[in-house]
Amino acid sequence: MWRLGLAASAVATMAFGQAFTFTIGSPVASQDSRSKMAAFVFRVEGCAEPASAQVGGTAEGLVHGARTSVALKLTPMSRPGVYAVFPTWPAEGDWVVNLNGTCARERAGALIPIGPGGFIRGSSKFLPRPATAPEIDTALQTLSQGRHQ
Amino acid sequence: MGGASNWRVVDLSDREVSGEILEACRLGDREAFRALYGVYKDRVYSIALYFFHGDHAVAGDVTQQIFLKLMTSIGRFRGEAAFSTWLYRLVVNACLDITRRRASDALILAASPHETAGGPGAQEEAYARAQLAHSVRAAIATLPRKYRIAVLLRYFEDLSYEQMAEALDCSMGTVASRLSRGHRMLAERLKHVNSRKG
Amino acid sequence: MTMWNRHVSGELAAYVDGALTPRAARQVELHLAKCTRCRTGCDHVRSGMAMVEHLPPVEAPGAIWAAIEAELREPRPGRAPASRSWRLALAAMAIVAIAGFAAWRFAHPPGTRWEVRRLEGAPAVGARSISGVGRVGIGEWIETDSRSRAVVTIGQIGSVELAPHTRLRVLATRPDEHRLALARGEIRATISAPPRLFFVDTPSGTAVDLGCEYTLHTDEDGFGLLRVTRGWVSFQWNALESLVPAGASCSTRPQIGPGLPYFDDASDAMKEALARFGLEKGERSAVDIILAESRVRDTLTLWHLLSRVDAGERTRVYDRIAALAPIPVGVSREKALVLDPDTMTRWREELAWTW
Repeated sequence: MWRLGLAASAVATMAFGQAFTFTIGSPVASQDSRSKMAAFVFRVEGCAEPASAQVGGTAEGLVHGARTSVALKLTPMSRPGVYAVFPTWPAEGDWVVNLNGTCARERAGALIPIGPGGFIRGSSKFLPRPATAPEIDTALQTLSQGRHQ
Repeated sequence: MGGASNWRVVDLSDREVSGEILEACRLGDREAFRALYGVYKDRVYSIALYFFHGDHAVAGDVTQQIFLKLMTSIGRFRGEAAFSTWLYRLVVNACLDITRRRASDALILAASPHETAGGPGAQEEAYARAQLAHSVRAAIATLPRKYRIAVLLRYFEDLSYEQMAEALDCSMGTVASRLSRGHRMLAERLKHVNSRKG
Repeated sequence: MTMWNRHVSGELAAYVDGALTPRAARQVELHLAKCTRCRTGCDHVRSGMAMVEHLPPVEAPGAIWAAIEAELREPRPGRAPASRSWRLALAAMAIVAIAGFAAWRFAHPPGTRWEVRRLEGAPAVGARSISGVGRVGIGEWIETDSRSRAVVTIGQIGSVELAPHTRLRVLATRPDEHRLALARGEIRATISAPPRLFFVDTPSGTAVDLGCEYTLHTDEDGFGLLRVTRGWVSFQWNALESLVPAGASCSTRPQIGPGLPYFDDASDAMKEALARFGLEKGERSAVDIILAESRVRDTLTLWHLLSRVDAGERTRVYDRIAALAPIPVGVSREKALVLDPDTMTRWREELAWTW
């Protein structure tokens, strides 16, 4: 069995020239019915061992003009490296999910705005490192001012 | 069979509930107990339900008794065995105690599949699956109770033979023997179903 | 003589489960090679284990926790045995207001009856109007007129709301199968359960719950529209299946089954072409428009289209999907064009990340 893992890892390494990053999707992408009520799901990419990537994040919000932050609930799904993000933030205010992750020595980040219809794919940003505070603030202000699609 | 040297010991420690939750339960943390209950409630209820022939009333009683006993006696759990083993010892004892007390272990089968009305577009495959589940439930209800509880414990909670032996308070050889006989009896009683499936 | 010359009937389950050491397992194997009786026994053990796999897990009723909490909060000296306290909690939750041992049995006799609550007007169960709360059992119809609405509690897994002018029948109320038939009208289902536990039959197919919220509309002639707001639903008719995720819809037709699913924000031109495609299967200009109008997320529609066109058109559909989303590793053009099942599944799973 360990030989299969070794072969899979080799294929993964050969296939990737790809940097470590996140891909986001609606819950159907997880192939796991536990994600039904999730805001969205994501998977790690460019990581030789997806299950070993360290992932975390917060939901960053602007509520009545005040900045606030809440912990994220990331639930591993049945596929390695796939997680569901369940809403831990309140309905009021504007919110951006701030994801970050580490795989071996590589880091990645993502900012995913949340709109009335769910996550806003077209306005999401993917970074080769965790987002900075100014980047988060900009994303929130853009969302708040309704310039997202 | 020979002694323990014939048995493969499986480490299921990564599936155990965390020590933090158990400690919090010992300290009376209701939220921790709620979390613990949430992890195990459906499996405990399912085992009780099928053990008691689909009797929801008794299954509910047993489930409530088990978790109340768990909460009130969790201080006695010292971690020398896996928590799930300890919990399932409670489940086994509760199920067997009640059958010993009951005047007759009467068969109360769940609703017959013939009660469903064929509506527009009813799927034959789903109906056949439901019929099969009903047949299996009925066959399990006819097993001697020590075989019945072993079969259900094995299926609903993926315990090792070592853990099942602790929960059932017997040797691993006895676990194997009960499972072997219980499953052979099921196959015998369900052979009509098997022959229909082809 | 070693111990393995005797029959190994007592070890068969452990052998099948891999619970024996390699040495002991090898000895059982050697015995099985020579002993027909134990080989037959081993087949029976495997067969019995396979049969048990058909037992669905059952969710514990919410009333049990309520009763446990009540006991923990206020343990009463000389209190009623635990067996009564959870059923009193059950009655207090207004499922059935009959105290004592009968309460749970009455609420869940063989052929369970579900609660129906009036939201507006005068919905009916069979011939009886409901003014507040009623019950509906297997084979019975729930009907709303133009001024009424109702909501049905579906066992322990969710609820179905009936819009005005709706006729819905209960077909199965078992823990492993909750099934309704929508003859006409519209329902909104909110279900929280393991997949494939909740089904709604219509004249043009069956909606199979895979964990979701959706509305399902059927008219008098059996034409329908499924719209999913959370999770995803499979709509099936014989061998035809459409997977409809949140934000997407799918029309259905009697004797034809589900059409192509599409996202609700697809262009009007695309929706119009999809409607034409469904009526005139394979109509080329409809396919032209669908391909031209499709965006990345419309690969949902295009993936389903692959199996609904002939081989000649399929190449164009494949090429359009490939232009919108990279073909994943493990999906070959040759296999996709012949609709190889594993290839199609792999491709769908990857495309789902764009939906």
